[in-house]
Amino acid sequence: MPYTHDVAVVGAGPAGLAAAVESAEAGLAVVLVDAAGQPGGQYWRHYDESHARPGDHRGHHGWSAFTRLRDRLDVLTADGRIHYLPGHQVWLITRDDPGVFTLRVTRSFGGSAGRVGAGVSGGTETGPSRAVAARALILCPGGYDRQLPVPGWDLPGVMAAGGAQALLKGHRTLAGRRAVVAGTGPFLLPVATGLARAGASLAAVVEANGTLGWLRDPVGAMSVPGKGVEALQYAVLMARHRIPYRRRTVIREILGEDRVEAVRMARVDREGRLTGPDREVAADLVALGWGFTPSLELPLMLGVDTRKDVDGSLVVVVDDLQRSSVDGVYVAGEATGVGGAALAVAEGRLSALALSASLRRPATAAVVRRLQRAIRRGRKFAAAMHRAYPVPGAWTEWLAEPTLVCRCEEVSYGDLLRACHDLGAEDARTLKMLARPGMGWCQGRMCGFATAEIASCLSGRETTAEDLRSLSTRSLAFPVTLGELAALTDDTASDGTASEATTERG
Amino acid sequence: MRDVPEHPDWLWSSPEPKRSYDVVIVGGGGHGLATAYYLAKNHGITDVAVLERGWLAGGNMARNTTIIRSNYLWDESAGIYEHALKLWEGLEDDLGYPILFSQRGVLNLAHSLQDVRDSVRRVHANRLNGVDAEWLGPDEVKEICPIVNVSPDVRYPVLGATYQPRAGIAKHDYVAWGFARAAAAMGVHLIENCEVTGVEVAGGRVQAVQTTKGRIAAGTVALSAAGHSSVVAATAGVELPVQTHPLQALVSELLEPVHPTVVMSNAVHVYVSQAHKGELVMGAGIDPYNSYRQRGAFHIIEQQMSAALELFPIFARAHVLRTWAGIVDVTPDASPVVGKTPVDGLLVNCGWGTGGFKATPGVGWCYAHTIAHGEPHPLNAPFSLERFTTGALVDEHGAAAVAH
Repeated sequence: MPYTHDVAVVGAGPAGLAAAVESAEAGLAVVLVDAAGQPGGQYWRHYDESHARPGDHRGHHGWSAFTRLRDRLDVLTADGRIHYLPGHQVWLITRDDPGVFTLRVTRSFGGSAGRVGAGVSGGTETGPSRAVAARALILCPGGYDRQLPVPGWDLPGVMAAGGAQALLKGHRTLAGRRAVVAGTGPFLLPVATGLARAGASLAAVVEANGTLGWLRDPVGAMSVPGKGVEALQYAVLMARHRIPYRRRTVIREILGEDRVEAVRMARVDREGRLTGPDREVAADLVALGWGFTPSLELPLMLGVDTRKDVDGSLVVVVDDLQRSSVDGVYVAGEATGVGGAALAVAEGRLSALALSASLRRPATAAVVRRLQRAIRRGRKFAAAMHRAYPVPGAWTEWLAEPTLVCRCEEVSYGDLLRACHDLGAEDARTLKMLARPGMGWCQGRMCGFATAEIASCLSGRETTAEDLRSLSTRSLAFPVTLGELAALTDDTASDGTASEATTERG
Repeated sequence: MRDVPEHPDWLWSSPEPKRSYDVVIVGGGGHGLATAYYLAKNHGITDVAVLERGWLAGGNMARNTTIIRSNYLWDESAGIYEHALKLWEGLEDDLGYPILFSQRGVLNLAHSLQDVRDSVRRVHANRLNGVDAEWLGPDEVKEICPIVNVSPDVRYPVLGATYQPRAGIAKHDYVAWGFARAAAAMGVHLIENCEVTGVEVAGGRVQAVQTTKGRIAAGTVALSAAGHSSVVAATAGVELPVQTHPLQALVSELLEPVHPTVVMSNAVHVYVSQAHKGELVMGAGIDPYNSYRQRGAFHIIEQQMSAALELFPIFARAHVLRTWAGIVDVTPDASPVVGKTPVDGLLVNCGWGTGGFKATPGVGWCYAHTIAHGEPHPLNAPFSLERFTTGALVDEHGAAAVAH
């Protein structure tokens, strides 16, 4: 059996980084597993540190908060108090013995950059699997851009808003020369201004909602004053780069032969019904984002309770100490509700303090209370933002029958219609079983939300947490090779119970 | 832009249940649907309801690895499975619905001298029963399936294989929809989201079923609920000698066509085919404990993959996308129970272990006969419940291909 740590922290973004250093400084033996080659997560993604240049942090918010956390991580890793596994991904967590979690980890696809290189053998894809054991878990898996299908979204040159930004922040690569950033939410602004600053010309930022949406919840929107300053900075940048900002507008079709050539936009009303005439704009990059989808593979694998959040995403239910419904499993960051980096850091710290307190190590009650207050404020603000930038209720009306919803299995909107009308599917799970959306390579990560919405829309009801759950549960957190499955050699995986003895050959 | 038909054109109608039927079939999987179809087609009995607690064909029918073959050892088994295979061969025309039945052959590998003796014996037994069967040496195995590693230097060397050329795979949900559509067209009621919670018996005779949609009276109640049959039968005071285990499977990502046939190995508990779209479908052996959960223990899959990769080194870099489990209901002799129970009018069809999918049309045919005549068809007569008291067992542990 591998050495059993006090806690395994999964993810080294804002929440995980805070949780890991806080736990280690409280005296716990910590293992930190992160898919990326260097810490920071998606939010603080940055260029390979070994080739850093001054100004790499430009456009980053809270960069000094990150460098402080990173410095603490470096000290604790050097001291052996954090066992840091960058470039590794957890694909399975089991509870083989009571009170001990076993995490199966493997080299991640994108983990070759940064700090991983030296000392880790193996090819570019995946290396041998290994097991990591811990008595408690702090899961900080983060999230990724939520996508809605739209005719033409499978053309080369269309990518997630976060993807375009990741290429820029992580690889100093501009994904196109003339960009349209579209969808909804405040995240479109840093993506657009980042692209503009890197030299792209911005044809438009297309926002489905009105900008005064926060008036729906002014008290919530004011609960984190720093955010107002941030918004103002973006407004200045948008003006400086002369970026056209189109409110209450959506992309209804992306045009092009072999790659993106233009987009067709139209005005919509509050519910997202098309109202205005089409308008075409040339572009070679389309970055789409409709809020975020938390990564729930690991929490769901452990059986934690989940709920539907204000923004329509499935999130983990946690109490005021970041504890999930499963004993010993803490969850922090976007997985408990999308709310941004500052909130994630507070949640990560709180989970670490709560865990160490539960192990009878001293934790300052005042700090805990302060963090809890900050988290409540952050949640209120996040809820106000979600209310201001909802996914328009009538979005399925933009779809045409041939529009692909599930790109892996090539399931079109028409296929889903037929599964509902000919075969009687009324919920997301039945739809999945009958028409196969979400059964391919991505296992529903891309199309899960859209499929759930289509299923409920076609049967005339609201999407429920159950719809989302059935498209989020996965037996493996991500696809691993058969070779890795076969190579597992720890004791728990080979107790020889295969029923050789009961086999009689006739 | 959205084109929603005003009046849904369903493949089958979805009526509210009537208060009574001549025949109530419990379980809307492949067997239940096939039984309803042959009841209507062969016997003209259409006052029939198929009650399904979830959606049609959402249980084991959606969870099996779709292998179809008939090379079982004993006369009784070869009889019903070969009858099924003959029906499979004409099913697409019969149902007027595509089922993608692909007769690509099945190899059952032998890895030890005992395996070889058993396999050769089975080939002879199959031939006597008119089932196509051949014994192949390692080189011939390699010829049929070039990606199998026939090197002698492995833990489970391939010493040969039985080969049934007429065997193959089909598309499981199309099969279910084909039966459902055809049965509904002849007037059978297919009622989804209707769980049977109890069987009502008076004076030794079945009266009705209690369901989540109310009481439904029935002249005959025919159980066809796989692992859950024993739970339903218990409400009528009938104990079935069935144990339920998880049986796991997994699929890979889509690959170019590399695997031309179906390969099964009893010794390593693994069976592999490549489905029509290109994904590898791999089945494991049963989990050794009893469970109704449609999820198995992970170490079972790990063990079997290490053995499978020795057979198919080429698959080491294929990625696993999903794993899942069905629940197999297993009897003491690894053969099914199809026939009457001590309760008059209560019939049972269960215990198919890993054989359920391939038997679908055959058992539907025979079970319908049993319902219509009140007596078993000659092909299912050997699979009575009484055999566990008379001792006339049909031991198919070997040819079931997976230990159970």
